[in-house]
Amino acid sequence: MTQKGIFQRIKKDWVIYLMLFPAILYFVIFNVIPIIGMKLAFQDYRVIGDNIWVGLKHFKVLFDSPAFFDVLQNTIIISSMKIIFFFPIPIILSLMINELRNGPFRKYVQSVIYLPHFLSWVVIAGVWISLLSPDSGGVNVIRNFFQLPTLDYMTSKDHIRWVLVFSEMWRSAGWDSIIYLAAIMKISPSLYEAARIDGASTLQQMRFITFPQLLSTVVVVFILNLGFFLNAGFDQVFNMINDSTISKIDILDTYVYRIGILNGQYAYATAASLFKGVIGVVLILSTHFISKRLTGKGVW
Amino acid sequence: MMRRFFKRFTWSHFIISTILLILSFMILIPILNLLAMSFSDPLQVHKLSGLDIIPKGFSFINYEVLFSNPLIVRSIFNSLFLTIVGTALNLFLTALAAYVLAKTEFVGKRVVVVFLIVIMVFEPGLIPEYLLVKDLGLLDTYASLLLYKTINIFYLFILMRFFEEVPDGILEAARIDGAGHFRIFTRIMLPLSKPGLATLGLFYGVYHWNEYFRATIYLTDPNKWPLQVVLRQFVVERDNTTLLGAQNVLSYEQVQALDFGSLQAGTIIISIVPLLVFYPFILKYYAKGTLEGGVKD
Repeated sequence: MTQKGIFQRIKKDWVIYLMLFPAILYFVIFNVIPIIGMKLAFQDYRVIGDNIWVGLKHFKVLFDSPAFFDVLQNTIIISSMKIIFFFPIPIILSLMINELRNGPFRKYVQSVIYLPHFLSWVVIAGVWISLLSPDSGGVNVIRNFFQLPTLDYMTSKDHIRWVLVFSEMWRSAGWDSIIYLAAIMKISPSLYEAARIDGASTLQQMRFITFPQLLSTVVVVFILNLGFFLNAGFDQVFNMINDSTISKIDILDTYVYRIGILNGQYAYATAASLFKGVIGVVLILSTHFISKRLTGKGVW
Repeated sequence: MMRRFFKRFTWSHFIISTILLILSFMILIPILNLLAMSFSDPLQVHKLSGLDIIPKGFSFINYEVLFSNPLIVRSIFNSLFLTIVGTALNLFLTALAAYVLAKTEFVGKRVVVVFLIVIMVFEPGLIPEYLLVKDLGLLDTYASLLLYKTINIFYLFILMRFFEEVPDGILEAARIDGAGHFRIFTRIMLPLSKPGLATLGLFYGVYHWNEYFRATIYLTDPNKWPLQVVLRQFVVERDNTTLLGAQNVLSYEQVQALDFGSLQAGTIIISIVPLLVFYPFILKYYAKGTLEGGVKD
């Protein structure tokens, strides 16, 4: 196409550009400008006048600070715990739900286990604070029934990370099982028929047909989870953290919030979040390409 | 009777159903327990154990107190306002962009798509976003909440898929009759994509109803707070000063007679109710949309 032809087309399609304009304007203001704003990590913030470039000063402070490493360590531990203990649950759930006949009971089970996904973490924190309450919370009622001493989970350093893992399960296990259920639906029924003729039991069908067929979806979801490894769950921790447990569950995102928004150390907090962002992008891109190589599926 | 519930009755089916039934109770009982607490008589609520789902005594007092509190009532209206206006704005702008990207050809389309994918990967940090909102003079305004994530790129891609299903022939016919892009968009595209718009409306609606974090940072005036922020302060932070400070209906003695836990339970229930009302629709559309928009082949 000639140069003139392009201009004529642009002129002819002005309505299209006008319709796209609000979206582009929005993305430039609320996405591009904040991304450029990350340059603050290399500056000292000034309320009045221009910020001063200080190079890697904030990163040096960051990497010399024991607090930062505690937070990084917490993030990695919590993320790892979630991957190890939470990740298999939706898969198992989907296998179990698949065994139910399409009837009212299955509908009931699915509606109930999807429900917590739609509640905000504020509500979930409220529910769990009540559930784990030392006074009459459900968990302690059960503990007392088995003659175990009352335990205040929300303030217990030894248990709080497990509270994070289990409340995450409570919220997301059901919902996350949807993606596996969809994959199971796509498995050809003839495979099961053949297995039944060979005399395979339900468990054998699960083990030799459903699970192997499910594996590629499992790999994709696992790799995607790795890509978001440093997002250990801001909303969750933000609503469940307290002074007694802060040393165990303060993660990168809550740290950035605290030193940035609450303490006003904008530049230092931006450096911390840039560190997290860069690692995050590297993880997402590399897992995307690994996933493409392994399974032909990616993030986009 | 059993045959109605299982494909074929076997012990493994029985065990699986039992496990799933127990799991569903583990989700329902804590919520029903809060419901029971909120309807219990404050004087008897201490007898209610954490596993009970039937109120001890029966009383509306918690809700009377909560609904006579100007801050709570105000926050419910704030949340409704933010959810309705926010969702409408989200839908309109997302649909506009989705129409252009799904149904038109223009110079630079590829650049726009690549731009969107790049932006999807690079999440800007909290602080630059806060400083931007501050510099724009949006602190303590609803605009700070309404404008953030006006277009969720992931949702935009989902809506594009819905739009692509509208037959090109209809649009072509309209074009021949002399309709411009904007007319086609409002008169044909939007009416024909109601299921897609409903799906996305629910996505955005749930997001707005549950949003609390940005409201916590950007809104300092308690009268502007949405319900989730009030809930957070009251239930998570256990701070009842703002709440009881705004209380002008009850006397000090009456406040003393109330049970703090039951009031918290009532606040949680109030914030869940709208979700439950829409839950059947949310389930229907959300599950479908998530599957279609999920990991792509």
